[in-house]
Order: sequence, then structure tokens, then C-alpha cells
Amino acid sequence: MKTLTNKARAKGGAGDLFFLFAVLGLAAYGVVCVYSASSYNAEVQYGDALYFVKKQIVGFVLGAGAFVGMGFLPYAKLQKCGLPALLISLLLLALVFIPGVGKSNYGATRWIGFGAFTIQPSEIAKYGFVMFTAGYFAKNPARMRTFRGILPVLGAGLSICVLIMLEPNMSVTMCVGAVMIGMIFLAGVNFKSLAAICLPALALVPVLILAEPYRLQRLSAFVNPWASPKEEGYQLIQSLYALGNGNFFGVGLFRSRQKYRFLPFSESDFILSVIAEETGFLGVLILFSVIAFVVYRGFRIAFSCDNFFGYMLVSGIVLSFAVQSALNALVVSGSIPPTGLPLPLISAGNTSLVVTMAGMGIVYGVSRHNERRKFIRYNK
Amino acid sequence: MLTAIAFIFCLFLGRFFYIQVIWEDELHYLALDQWTREIPVVAGRGKIFDAGGELLAGNRTTYSVFARANAVDDAENSSRVLSSALGLSYEEVYEKLTDKKRSEITVVRRAEKSVVEKIAGADLNGVYYARDNTRVYPYGELACQILGFTSFDQSGSTGVEQFYNSYLAGENGEILYETDLIGIDLEGATAAYLPATDGLNVRLTLDYRIQAYAEEVMARALEANNAKSAQCIVLDPSDFSVLAMVNLPSYDLNDIPRDDLKTLNELSRNRLVCDIYEPGSTFKIITSAATLEEYYKGNPAALSPEHVFPSSRTRSVDGTTIKCWSDHKNGKHSNQTLAEALNNSCNPCFVDMALSLGKDTFYDYLSAFRFGRATGLDFSGEAIGMLLPQTTVRDCDLARIGFGQTIAVSPLQLACGAASAVNGGYYYSPRIVSEIFSDDGSVREKTDKILLGRTVSERTSQALSSMLEGVVTEGSGKHAYIEGYRVAGKTGTAQKYENGQIAQGKYVASFLGYFPADKPQYLALVIVDEPQGAYYGSTVAAPCAKEIFEGIIKVRQIAPFTEGL
Repeated sequence: MKTLTNKARAKGGAGDLFFLFAVLGLAAYGVVCVYSASSYNAEVQYGDALYFVKKQIVGFVLGAGAFVGMGFLPYAKLQKCGLPALLISLLLLALVFIPGVGKSNYGATRWIGFGAFTIQPSEIAKYGFVMFTAGYFAKNPARMRTFRGILPVLGAGLSICVLIMLEPNMSVTMCVGAVMIGMIFLAGVNFKSLAAICLPALALVPVLILAEPYRLQRLSAFVNPWASPKEEGYQLIQSLYALGNGNFFGVGLFRSRQKYRFLPFSESDFILSVIAEETGFLGVLILFSVIAFVVYRGFRIAFSCDNFFGYMLVSGIVLSFAVQSALNALVVSGSIPPTGLPLPLISAGNTSLVVTMAGMGIVYGVSRHNERRKFIRYNK
Repeated sequence: MLTAIAFIFCLFLGRFFYIQVIWEDELHYLALDQWTREIPVVAGRGKIFDAGGELLAGNRTTYSVFARANAVDDAENSSRVLSSALGLSYEEVYEKLTDKKRSEITVVRRAEKSVVEKIAGADLNGVYYARDNTRVYPYGELACQILGFTSFDQSGSTGVEQFYNSYLAGENGEILYETDLIGIDLEGATAAYLPATDGLNVRLTLDYRIQAYAEEVMARALEANNAKSAQCIVLDPSDFSVLAMVNLPSYDLNDIPRDDLKTLNELSRNRLVCDIYEPGSTFKIITSAATLEEYYKGNPAALSPEHVFPSSRTRSVDGTTIKCWSDHKNGKHSNQTLAEALNNSCNPCFVDMALSLGKDTFYDYLSAFRFGRATGLDFSGEAIGMLLPQTTVRDCDLARIGFGQTIAVSPLQLACGAASAVNGGYYYSPRIVSEIFSDDGSVREKTDKILLGRTVSERTSQALSSMLEGVVTEGSGKHAYIEGYRVAGKTGTAQKYENGQIAQGKYVASFLGYFPADKPQYLALVIVDEPQGAYYGSTVAAPCAKEIFEGIIKVRQIAPFTEGL
């Protein structure tokens, strides 16, 4: 019996099962929430209450597959994929701008599609960037000590940011930017270089806001949404109504009032509003405890990794998940101006779900590797 | 790392806590509004009855039909059903049922119950019904300016309907439907029903029989004299309750000329209350009352009832000459006392009376008789009249006020003033409504008689009344005489002014009469505006008053007070 277990461990170990169940649990919960948030809208718009949830189940199955696939793929192999991943990301982002391939919605071109199948390149590019950066620093850790050494990372990050911004999609841009700065920080770059990057990035935010008039309108709507309750302020007001209706314990699962087409994007970017309404503050507290747990376990896996590539890769993935979750929660609660950003693992949207789960699979794979290393060390 | 995560975590959870648990109340209140659509439930409007319980304004149950285009699922079929049931064009209904830009649209109002029952049987999605009621006036034109009418949404626009709207209206209820953003009913959601509170009923002091009789008499006078208009107010001098108010021409309350606002305004105005006129000789009652009262009080300036007035036809005041309407030839209007002056309606005598009292004393009486201020009738738009300010009035003005010129009053003011002069000197607050009561008969509010002030003493009142009885038995008012009923009164014939000039051939013939003279119970002021041909109050108006009194005697079955002489 003991040998059998040992044998299994030698093959790869069970990994961080808490992490695994937390991630799969979140994604499964997401399917339920998508059903609740979208069924009415789907019925009215597509004549099929299960329209969105069916897609989400497909995404969940694909995502679970990707999770397992990545979890059992020796992650060291990914180290060589950094540059190709970056190039593919840039290519996909560029495809968005080719008429006929790119698909527009709500005034932004963020999707590329082949028939009914659409993907959102920015979701992929996020991880493409993480893979590239991790691989680049791991190849020669000395690079990060000089500003020149960081330049390729900055170049990659900025080019992705520029392409996403042109879609336009401010929030994902901010997310990639934050991940870039976070990864450079986690790589151990000295503070001088970090400051040299951060300050111009911060200075760029107001410029970007002023460049597009709609952003300024959203900004003013954020300060007082009731000044334009039918236009810019509408989305935020509806989100606040949902939150308010939830109170402490919520109105009960599937019993949201705001999902009856009052709250736009209730199944995607604003699914957290519906969750907050149905499960109350308590539900939000529990959900974010689980998310925080995933982030915490993720970073623990990163820090206990024995090689620099694994450490950087996991940090980047977890960071991106954490940043995106936090940004979404801030948008939904009206703490920052509304931008279109899904709540990872929960919101409807297959690209995001599959890619996030694949990324989480990588993290899980690293945790398996960590365990095997301990086991080997123990057996020595 | 853990600290950083925990910190950010707490930060935005704090924000969620604030919104969800602290701000919640206000947000929920705001959100409630968008989650429901209301269909009004119209309260039953209170009814209006006359003093004896005769229904003057009631309701017929009708329904409004609404549609919410977003909730209509089969517009073609629904339009067919609705258009055929309601007698509307198919295209018009179809357009309404498919107008998705409007959240709610009224298909028809005031549809009969039977029609709506037919539609309801078809069970059309997105079509709703609500009781809206139609106001019905069983007597059509009767007392139309008093009752007034309601606007299209059942809110009182004029008359009692308007003044007592807060009692009559009741409180509308609502049926709340839970809907989605664009107004589609949620499945399984129950409609909340907030019942309407029906309005309270109003009982008038008006007696519809007297009103109907007076309207008949005045209609005949209007036609016979080819007059511009005719008015009449009947008042109970013992408590100032209004028994009838006639304004002709009138209109049918069940068929209001809403399209012609100018005409409607003309016809619906209660001129007795809202318009003013120069009363002429009927005002001499007031001058006489003031003179008698001052004399009895011992004011040496006041002329005695036995004072013999100079027989001259003219008086010269402030360099202007005031003439009597009579030529004073062949011994007419000679050596008159006050009683005779009233009988003859001799203007110079009243000039003497007003001037001898002086402007201060005379104005005190004008004020006591409430000229120049509202009587306080429960009716909107009461005119206060026109009175020269006491500080600017000259003797020549005062002299003319003595016989009812250079002063404008509302017929209501004059009727009330005269009533108080002959009822013992009591000025009450006039009223149209006696009580407010609910359908179960319990009285919610009662308007008791309110004494506003004394005008003259009992003694003055008695003396004046017997003189006015004389006017009817042997003076200018003899056309109002009814044997055995002790009718008293005073005629009036006033020339009309237009743009500050005397309008040739335009007169207001009037008569203010009451009976019985010793204890007045019925007082009528009859006004015929611009009669053609005969224009004297004595020949045009006094006979009307007599007929009205006869009508009152008949409907109230009043036995004669004295044996015929």
C-alpha cells in the first residue's frame, strides 16, 4: 500500500488539492450563477432560457479539460513557449482589427469570430504575456538587474496594452499593465527601475482617460450616477440597486429582481451584482474568501517553487486572477469607474473561463511538481 | 503577501458592506419604483345631493383600457378583439399595441362595463383594465354652475365639484404588477392590490325643487324680455343657506362644451358670486338701514324716519347735479318721508341720507354689511366688489353710493347684506354645503351657521322691514305682492356703463324681495340683464320674484301668514 502511494507520488503527486477544489468549485458555482443571472434574458432574447448556461457548461468542460491537461503537462516545457505565445497573442490581437474577422459589440471591437464561435484575444494575451515574461527572466535572471534587461518585457507589455487599448478595452489594459508591473516587482527588480516604470504608467492614466470622451463621461457618472440615470449612470445605478436589494443575507438564489433586464451584462461583467443581490453581503464575503484563498494558495505554490520560471509563471497567473477579481469587485461596487471586465471563473464568457482554468491548471501542475520534489528530497 | 491580500480584501468588502447593509434602505426604495408598473384604481367620486337627499351628481361605473405594447404577444388578434368591442378602428388600436416606445398607453377611457367584460373574457396578454367612472348629473342643466364639472381625470374643475374636491375625490388605489425592464409581467409574480378609498358625499343646502322652479321662471323672463342673461339667488335669511342659484343661459353638465373654452367659461361662471354689478335702487335698503340705525342710536346727524325730504328733483353736490329718475311733476315725489322715499325709490332722498351720515359713518356701515370683502361662501372665485377707498371718496361719490351707484357688488353680497338688514341684524356666513357624509350615512363634517357680525339692531330691522313691505303693498314693488304672505322688497333699475360711459338703452332690472316680512324665511334677488323693451325692475324683475315665491309656497306647502285684507 505504502509503495503504491509512493509510486503515485513519484509519478507527480496529488498537488494542492485545496487549490484544485477551490478553483473547480468557483467555476461550477459560476455555472449556477450564470444560469440564474441569464435565464430570463436568454428566454426573452433567444427563446431559450439555457442559452448562456449551455455555453458556460461547454466552457466549463473545456476549461476542466484544459485544467487537467495543463496540470499534467510538465510545466518546464512551457519555458520555451514564451516567445511563440507572445507572438500568437499579438497576432490574435491584431486580427481583431481586420474587418470581417473582428467582431464589434457595444462600440468596441474585442472579439474575433468564426461563425458562432468567438474568442476574446485579450484574455489569451494576458497569459501569453505572463508566459513570455516568466520565460524571459528565467532564461537569464541577471537581466532584471539592469533597466536594459527589463526593456523586452516592457516592450511586450506595452505592445499588448496598446493593441488592447485600441479595441478599446481600458480595464483589460489596466489589468495587463498591473500584471506587468507586479511581475517585474516579483522578479526582484530594484526599486529605482520599478519607479522609472510605474511613474510614467501612472501619468498615462489621465491622458488615456482624456483621449476618449466616453471615458470622461463614465468617470463623471461614477462620481454621481444619478446625474444621468438614463445614460452614463444607468449601469452603475442598476448595480447598486442589486447590491442594495441583497442586504445582508440576500433575496435567495435565483430570486434576483435586477436580472429582469434592469441590469445590463448581468451574466457577464456584472454577475457579481446578481450574486450580491441573491446571496447578500454574506454571499459576497464567502465568495471572496474563496477567491482570496485561491490567491493565497496560488502565491504559496509560487513561493515554494524551486525554479525561477515556475515561480514567475505562477505569480503572473495568480496575480492576473487577483487583479482582475479585485477590479471587477471595485467596478460592481461603484468604487472605480465602470469598465468591461469579467469576474474570472464566474462570469459568462468561454475564452475567459477556458484560459483562466488552463492557467489555474498550470498553477496546479506546479504544486504537483513541488510535492514531488519534497518527496524526492524526503526519500534521499 | 498575505497581509497585502487581506488588506485589499477588507477594503472592498468594506465597500460592499456599506452598500449592502448600510445604504441598502435608500437604494431599495429607489429600486422599488422601477420594478413595478401601476394600473390606477380610481376611487369612486363622492356624490352630491340636494338638501332633501335628491341625487344631483353621481357616477356610472366605466373602465379604462390600457395596453403595454411590450407585454402584448399577439398584437393582430388583440387589435381585432379590441377594435370590434370598442368600436375603434383596427389600425388605430394596432398602432397603440405595437408602440413599443411607450411603456403604457391608454386604448380607451370610459368604456361601458359590459364591453369591458367582453374584452376581459378574451384574456389578452398586455391589456389591462381599470375602473375610471363617469360622472353623471341626473338633472343635466339644473344648478350647473353651482355643481360645476370635473376634468377628464375626475378632478373637480368648477363649482362644488372643485371647492369640495378634496372630500369628493377620495384616494385612488393601484394595482402593482411586477415587471421586467420594459414592462413585461413576471411569471408567477402576484399583483399587489392597493384598494381605493371612495370619496365622501356632499349635501347641499340647495332645494332642487326651488332651484328647478326658479330656473323655469328665470328662463321665461330671459325669453320674454329678450335679455342677455338672467340670474336669481334664493337665500334663507335666518341662516344664510343658499336655496337656489340660477344663472341663465346655462349648459348641460352631461354634455359639456369642452371644445369651446370661451363659451364654457361664460356659461359655467356663477355670476351671482363671481361677477359684480352696480346694484342701483336695491342698494337703498342698506342706506335706509344705516340711517335708521344711526337715528335710533341717537346720532343727531342721522335723519329721522319722520323727516320730510325736500321735494326738489335735483341735488347739487360738489358742483355736480344729481337728478331723480322721476320728473317730480304733478306732485309726484313731494313731501316724502323715508317710507315714501322707499316706495317711490326717490334718489334725492337717499342722497340726503348718505350725506347727512357723512362718509365715515356711512363707510362703517358698508364695512359692517361686508361690501368690499368676501362673504365667505364655500365657493371659489368670489368677487369682493368695488368700493371707492374711504380716503379718496368725495361727497358727490358718497351721494351716489346712497342710491346704489358708484359702487359695484356681487349679487350674493347684496342678497346677504339685505338679508342681515331685515332678519334682525344678523350677518351669517353664507353656505352652499350643509354636510359631508360617507356612504354609510355617518356625517363627517357639518357646516353650522356662523354669525359673522351684527349689522343693525332688531328695532331698525323691524322698522325697515315694515317699510319694505310697504314698497310691495303700495309702492314700486307691487308686482311681487302675494296675498297673505307678507312679501316685502325693493326694486332696482340700474343703467349700465360701458367704458365709463352710460350705455344707452342698457339696463339691469332687479328686485330684491323676501317673505314673510316679520320673520323672513325666503329671500330672492332677481336680476334681468339688458331686457329689451320694458326695463324697470318693478315690471321685469318683481313679477319673477312673485312667481318664485309662489313656487316656494307650493313646494314647501306654506300656509298664508295673514288673512287676506
